[in-house]
Amino acid sequence: MHELSIVKDIFSTLEEHYEAKVEDIQKIQVTAGLLSNVQPVLIQNAFDAFIADNLIYRDMELEVVVNDIIAHCHSCDKDFKVEYHRFVCECGTPSTDIVQGNELYISKVIFKQSL
Amino acid sequence: MASNPKSLGNRVGSLQCDNTTLHLLKANDFVANAIRERLKNVCVINVCSSPGSGKTTLMQETGKRLGKDLKISVLVGDPETDRDAVRMKEVGLNALQIVTGGMCHIEAQMILQALDHIDLEDTDLLFIENVGNLLCPSAFDLGEDYRVTLLATTEGDDKPKKYPRMFLTSELMLVSKADLLPYVPFTVENVTKDAREVNPNIEVLTISTTNGEGIDQWCEWLKERVKAKKANEAE
Ligand SMILES: Nc1nc2c(ncn2[C@@H]2O[C@H](COP(=O)(O)OP(=O)(O)O)[C@@H](O)[C@H]2O)c(=O)[nH]1
Ligand SMILES: [Mg+2]
Ligand SMILES: [Zn+2]
Repeated sequence: MHELSIVKDIFSTLEEHYEAKVEDIQKIQVTAGLLSNVQPVLIQNAFDAFIADNLIYRDMELEVVVNDIIAHCHSCDKDFKVEYHRFVCECGTPSTDIVQGNELYISKVIFKQSL
Repeated sequence: MASNPKSLGNRVGSLQCDNTTLHLLKANDFVANAIRERLKNVCVINVCSSPGSGKTTLMQETGKRLGKDLKISVLVGDPETDRDAVRMKEVGLNALQIVTGGMCHIEAQMILQALDHIDLEDTDLLFIENVGNLLCPSAFDLGEDYRVTLLATTEGDDKPKKYPRMFLTSELMLVSKADLLPYVPFTVENVTKDAREVNPNIEVLTISTTNGEGIDQWCEWLKERVKAKKANEAE
């Protein structure tokens, strides 16, 4: 599994984006589509292992939000939810036009109370 | 000195919440596109499957059949050993092992580095044999033109729905070890139906390196793709 690569990427992304301010982050939220193959429990464990070894991040919290898979049907021109990995609209038209579900990103960053 | 004046303006005791979209694993896509830029004349195929579905054997067979007409190179991912690369070299393929150090997938950066250590002069076709795993490799673009996923008849015909992203991102599914069909509870019809519900555009080809079934069609498929890539580049 590549949860640890993702966790490392989370921290390098935060460091790049927030520079010195990363030390003030209290909590982050990561949004993962069901197709990103991210297991919330595994990423939580990898995250906990990572911060245990990195003093400045020790108190940081992680929340993982999982997104459903949504595809677009070109026959009906509307979006539909993909359930049981059946990428077929209720009208019978298959679609691989994924509107939501592939994504993996940091969706929220909460900073500690400023002094 | 463009640091963060925003936080200075915060009221005492207030929490600052930043709603963002900081995409992860973007570095991989960036490198994958660099590979695509660099290999404009080479048709690159990312070959994925579970361990033991027959990737290496298929590369060997392909080398024997097409080695005279096409220059084929192979980058082989393996967590620990170089056995597969040795097997490929035995049949005259230009092969290089990428030892992933226990990692479950190949990342674009590993391919980019490997390109400097393999002679790609005149190469028409570059195979990347991914690490045996249907889950993690699906998230990593390696700069390939096509992703081909093998599913052996011994693995059960319910796999496409269990690993949807892999089949969603593949152009071709090879149902391998077809010679074993009489002995296993597996039908090509079921697996095709399952795969097409995940990806209606996926092509399906049934093959066996043991009795040769489908190998001619596979070779034709490859030749067409190589030709298309070169024609595209010549434009
Ligand atoms: N019966 C049968 N066995 C095969 C076929 N192709 C490969 N194998 C066997 O499957 C095993 C794994 O093959 P290998 O090519 O190493 O799989 P890889 O891990 O995907 O590279 C080997 O023992 C092969 O001899 C096939 O078409 N039919
Ligand atoms: Mg192999
Ligand atoms: Zn519809």
